[in-house]
Amino acid sequence: MIFEKRTERIVLAIFFVIALCIPLFLEDNSFFVGKVTTILILAVFVMSLDFLVGRVGLVTLGHALFYGLGGYLFVILTPEYEAVNFWVYAIYVMGISALVALVVGVVVLRTSGIYFIMITLAISQMVYYFFFDSLEFGGSDGLFIFMKPDTSIFGLSFLDLDNPSHFYYLSLLAVLITLVAIKIILRSRFGRIVEASRLNPERTEALGYNIFAFRLISYIIGSTLAAYAGLLFALQYGYVNPQFMTWEMSGTALVMSILGGMGTIYGAILGTITYEGLLYIFEHLSDDWMLFMGGSIILMVLLLRKGLAGYLEKLLEK
Amino acid sequence: MSTELFFVQLINGLQYGLLLFLIASGLTLVFGVMGILNLAHGSMYMVGAYLVWYFVAVTGSFTVSAILSAVIALGLGILIERVLIQRLYNRNHLDQVLLTIGMIFVFNSLQSILWGNDPYGVAVPEALSGSVPFTDNSSYPVYRIFAALICIAIAAALYFMVSKTRLGMLIRAGESNREMVEALGVNIKSLYTIVFAIGVMLAAISGIIAAPMRSIVPGMGESVLITCFVVVVIGGMGSIKGAFVGALLVGVISTFAAVLMPTMSNMVIYLFMILVLLVKPQGLFAK
Amino acid sequence: MANDIILETESLSKHWGGIKALNDISLQFHDRQLHGVVGPNGAGKSTLLNMLCGTLQPTSGCIFHKGDQIEGMKPWKFVRRGIGRSFQKTNIYADVTCLENCAVAAQRRFAGSFNLFASRHANKLVREAAEKALHQVGLADRIHTIAAEISYGEQRQLELAMVLATDPCILLLDEPMAGMGHEESQRIIELLGQLKQTYSIVLVEHDMDAIFELSDQLTVLDNGTHLITGTVDEVRNDPRVKEAYLGKEDEEEEAA
Repeated sequence: MIFEKRTERIVLAIFFVIALCIPLFLEDNSFFVGKVTTILILAVFVMSLDFLVGRVGLVTLGHALFYGLGGYLFVILTPEYEAVNFWVYAIYVMGISALVALVVGVVVLRTSGIYFIMITLAISQMVYYFFFDSLEFGGSDGLFIFMKPDTSIFGLSFLDLDNPSHFYYLSLLAVLITLVAIKIILRSRFGRIVEASRLNPERTEALGYNIFAFRLISYIIGSTLAAYAGLLFALQYGYVNPQFMTWEMSGTALVMSILGGMGTIYGAILGTITYEGLLYIFEHLSDDWMLFMGGSIILMVLLLRKGLAGYLEKLLEK
Repeated sequence: MSTELFFVQLINGLQYGLLLFLIASGLTLVFGVMGILNLAHGSMYMVGAYLVWYFVAVTGSFTVSAILSAVIALGLGILIERVLIQRLYNRNHLDQVLLTIGMIFVFNSLQSILWGNDPYGVAVPEALSGSVPFTDNSSYPVYRIFAALICIAIAAALYFMVSKTRLGMLIRAGESNREMVEALGVNIKSLYTIVFAIGVMLAAISGIIAAPMRSIVPGMGESVLITCFVVVVIGGMGSIKGAFVGALLVGVISTFAAVLMPTMSNMVIYLFMILVLLVKPQGLFAK
Repeated sequence: MANDIILETESLSKHWGGIKALNDISLQFHDRQLHGVVGPNGAGKSTLLNMLCGTLQPTSGCIFHKGDQIEGMKPWKFVRRGIGRSFQKTNIYADVTCLENCAVAAQRRFAGSFNLFASRHANKLVREAAEKALHQVGLADRIHTIAAEISYGEQRQLELAMVLATDPCILLLDEPMAGMGHEESQRIIELLGQLKQTYSIVLVEHDMDAIFELSDQLTVLDNGTHLITGTVDEVRNDPRVKEAYLGKEDEEEEAA
């Protein structure tokens, strides 16, 4: 069983049951379905970050670089007025993102601790400005997707990306796959060494492991998943722009994953939903929602040290 | 590029670099002594600029406003350290990052509530409003020279404080060994409060000095923060000397980049930083 | 005899700024022997050990393992050559079980660690090797206990078990008995006595009785320099050693 904790199983069961039902009962409310789709996509992004920060021990403040990259790569690779196959291009996008993560990873993993935080931030800022200042890639306006790709596999088409419910289920599938993939990796022999490297890097090296290699591979995995989330986000809204890769985006995702319970993976889903929910409430309550949001974050760091998942586990685990 | 333009740009770059140093020095001081990474440092810069704008509008005097703003910033620093930062000393970097991100939200929001989101400007004080002739057909604003001199004076004062005074001795000792400072009978809590407050004040003073040269806009804190990160990473976290060298390098490089390759100018300092880290992963003046 | 040299240093030195932590050390470590290293505090014992396992770079000099020059390689490459080390300060994975601690150590020998899919619990060989190491050091009843929850002495035993689980050919042990109770120490002395039948061991230890009992070769370091290497009796009767130890004690007494 890859889901070891009772709390984890309960939370995920409730989540997937509700998530599966939402489009069935709220088919007419496409705004709501769209909003939840966005949250699901963000959850994929936050889970990939939670994996890196909470489980591999790489505190990155530049994860949004890959979120934006996923969107940009898709638009850049596809011909402007031709519907391409979604799956084929998703693989292209993830493949190139993995290569970029390899190069970036080799640079950033030379540093550690506070330097790692800063250099990841700086590299993502650099790429942000690259797109922001570029003429070819639409500058601050970004790029638009004119044709939704088709999703047929071997000629069989069962998903229509223009249908909000279909897109919703595609995003929910992404959540499921990401969750299961990360959990399998964490349980694997690779995951054992990754865990050991986080708990005690010195000892792990003294046991004969090249921790750089383990961290690099993990970094590539986390970044590639983030790129997939970015690709979905770009497809949902039909554009990509430099705002995808701001450091605020990375910072917000960090807040979501801490809110949910760092390193728990399923907590990332909880954190994303809660953060977006709070944001929605505050935005409707007051123009000064940032004040409430900031206050909540500060209180959370001071009081809720193990996040929502930690709180629930206290209640549910014996 | 003509020689004349070259020198004008060089002076611009150095002047910008000195301002960057002033901001970055607080960041690196707080990190070096207390091990705290304060992402809200840029917000303090913003606070300084807004405060001085507000007081100039009320009092009409730049000098009075500058002093008032700096004192308020010092008080704000003490308050923040006592209420929030103190709870972070035994936490990891991640918690520091998050709490200070929360602070950015709060400060940005307060700025918007108190002063709205319109851009503002502060007039250059009259006594400093002229220009010095540079060559036959170019001149340099007096205020910018004044700003550079103030930055140099503060850098010198900071150097004196860290290397020659009792407070500086404690700061240097606290960097290497917390217990030792406590063994000397010094209350490390007060030391940390003082250092953090000084850090906040340095950022606010930078904002005050920058106010007449730049427009005062929402978000000004974040953009300067990231540039400061680049400065301290290049120089080596926690090293004041490193921050000085890093700031001048970044100031000059980004100024020339803006002239020579405008479409890439924002990227250049980050590229430079990556190059530095490839050679020296801990920055130029790492401890 | 000459052929069974397994690890060798040649004029090995480590300087920190102007301080010579270790100066011009040439030693030979033989297969299936226990080589004790003693000396007063600050003699450079830990520095020597840290260089032998690759975590410290020597300022100058060479290290040879089975004839290959290995100084400057990454620490994990040292381990892959069979040079295992224990730490003076307990250095374990405190948050996981004792079994998992040893499983991390053992995994590299039996199964690919870059396998992203196979469950970490699936490989029987890894588990058996980890359990065997725990049995060897006497932690059989602690297999499923979280490492942070066992006693300090037991953590020292776990530290040793982790090295054993890597199946090294040379064990570099940095004060393995520090902080252990008498009974636990006796157990480790007995264990080391058995282990030296099959492994080559370099032992840094303050417990002189243990060192004298176990050592085939004994090296005395003083103030970063190599005083003498020989059998236990040779070292005991050497006037320089008496001076280094007894002379200092006299001075201390006088000073007090």
